[in-house]
Amino acid sequence: MRAVFALAVITFKEGIRNRSLFGIVLLALFLFGLNIMVAGFFMRDVGKVTVDMNLSALSFAGLLLVFFVGVNLMAKDIDRKTIHLVLSKPISRAQYIWGKYLGIQFFLVVSLSLLFVFSCMTVVLLLSLYPNYFGGFSWVQFVVACFFVLVKFSVLTAIVVFFSAITTSSLITLIFSFASYIAGVTIEEVVFYLKSEFASQEQMISEGLRHFIAVVSYLLPNFSVFDYTLEAAHGLTIESSRMLLSVGYGVVYSCILLSLASVIFARREFN
Amino acid sequence: MDEIQLCAVSKTYNPGLFKKKVNAVKDLSLEIASGEVFGLIGPNGAGKSTTIRMLLGLIRPDSGSILFRGKALTEQDIRSEIGYLPENPYLYDHLNLRELLRFCGRSSQLSVEQIVHRSQELLAKLDLLEAQKRPLRTFSKGMLQRAGICFALLHDPSIVIFDEPMSGLDPIGRKMVFDLVMELKQQGKTIFFCSHILSDVERLCDRICLISKGRLIKQFHRDDFLQSMSQAVFLEVTDIPEQHREKPLAMGVQIRQEGQGCLLAVPGENYFSVSAYLQEVGIEILGCRAEWVSLEDLFMQHVKEQEQ
Repeated sequence: MRAVFALAVITFKEGIRNRSLFGIVLLALFLFGLNIMVAGFFMRDVGKVTVDMNLSALSFAGLLLVFFVGVNLMAKDIDRKTIHLVLSKPISRAQYIWGKYLGIQFFLVVSLSLLFVFSCMTVVLLLSLYPNYFGGFSWVQFVVACFFVLVKFSVLTAIVVFFSAITTSSLITLIFSFASYIAGVTIEEVVFYLKSEFASQEQMISEGLRHFIAVVSYLLPNFSVFDYTLEAAHGLTIESSRMLLSVGYGVVYSCILLSLASVIFARREFN
Repeated sequence: MDEIQLCAVSKTYNPGLFKKKVNAVKDLSLEIASGEVFGLIGPNGAGKSTTIRMLLGLIRPDSGSILFRGKALTEQDIRSEIGYLPENPYLYDHLNLRELLRFCGRSSQLSVEQIVHRSQELLAKLDLLEAQKRPLRTFSKGMLQRAGICFALLHDPSIVIFDEPMSGLDPIGRKMVFDLVMELKQQGKTIFFCSHILSDVERLCDRICLISKGRLIKQFHRDDFLQSMSQAVFLEVTDIPEQHREKPLAMGVQIRQEGQGCLLAVPGENYFSVSAYLQEVGIEILGCRAEWVSLEDLFMQHVKEQEQ
């Protein structure tokens, strides 16, 4: 456990001192600023637009953090053979995987928490400027939606670690992780469509394709379970059972991926 | 007792589809005794780094076995006993040396006091005390090499594996590392040393193995270079015609053809008479040497033989 924590600490420090982080934070600040500037154009929907834009800015920044910093934190170790030095110490391959994941996770939590503070400041400012148009807004729903942005990127981090463990270059890791993200965001809509009446009238969709998508939908991460934007924007009640299910899904999916990554990584050879 | 034994170890790399497999190491058998400074030399692609990676468990041999103190490597984790310095240590750019060493100590289960004590001791020895708070990305190549050595030695391992430790070091740095290796040797550590700088290998190692194309070519002992002719004077001279060789040979001189000239091993007591004879027959003395045969000579000779 000590080795896992030691590895997590240096991974976190490597990430937090990466200059890309400043660029991503600046970009997020620009998006929050843009929100303040354009909010007045929407009047009755100011509250909804504010929540939407803030959650989108957090999501976009999180995506950039995982792909530009997170990928490098593990895949670069393998690319640059730093892993030879690390694995020459009494650290098992599984400890390496979990240590790296925890380190990237700390980094994400700290970075997204900082952005969350800025996001809250934006909401507070707009709330004071347009108090009459934030009728359905609730801080609880907003915080829950922000929390699930973090959970979504925790799962994406597990995907990045998994692909870093099985591929030989950071570029391949980036491509596979990005493809998984895109597929994970859209898979639920595809499945809904295939189950709809429109799809049953469609001649082009074969039974084979239906079965294939049914199988793939269980393998791919379903990122839409972490999307609480609608509830936060409209101030709808979020059931605690749904939240528990979403967190449980994220935790189980990440654990399975990391365990698989540990098994594959243990068999891997480093030339 | 042998500290490390490699028994008929082979390793083949598969470079990809439709490409020929590469035999990186083939039937390699070695023994490294406890407290010995063991040098592994060979041309590029000879299999030195592959051998080291198999020892560290980064890759697995296809056949053969590696034993550590008589027990198979697959049955035990020996990494707490090993300190490893790779050829070009790529360290974490955004960390400083102190943080890197703290990580090394914690992963090796050292206490905070031990980490601080060992770090300061090694940093002082390798002249890195002032640089310990600087990010590693600002380090020069030589400083990175010395930082890598600190990383390898922090947990006081009993076996030290150095892959090109002198690479990128200036003469002062080389002297520092040389002294450190000698100190480790005095402490009874087993040192596995890989280098292309043959003069360093020759000076430091008790035993040297030459490998080429993954096979063991020759093993030399330190005494092979010192020879039994330690009392002799070694002279480099112009070519000696056959008719003038008889008299020097009668005076106990050994003659070895070397390129356009000859190398003579002259017994100390006959030096003046041999020198006078050479002058008399018009053979010029070009210089003198400290040894009859250098590791470089042996290296070139055996590698050429292997290629033929």
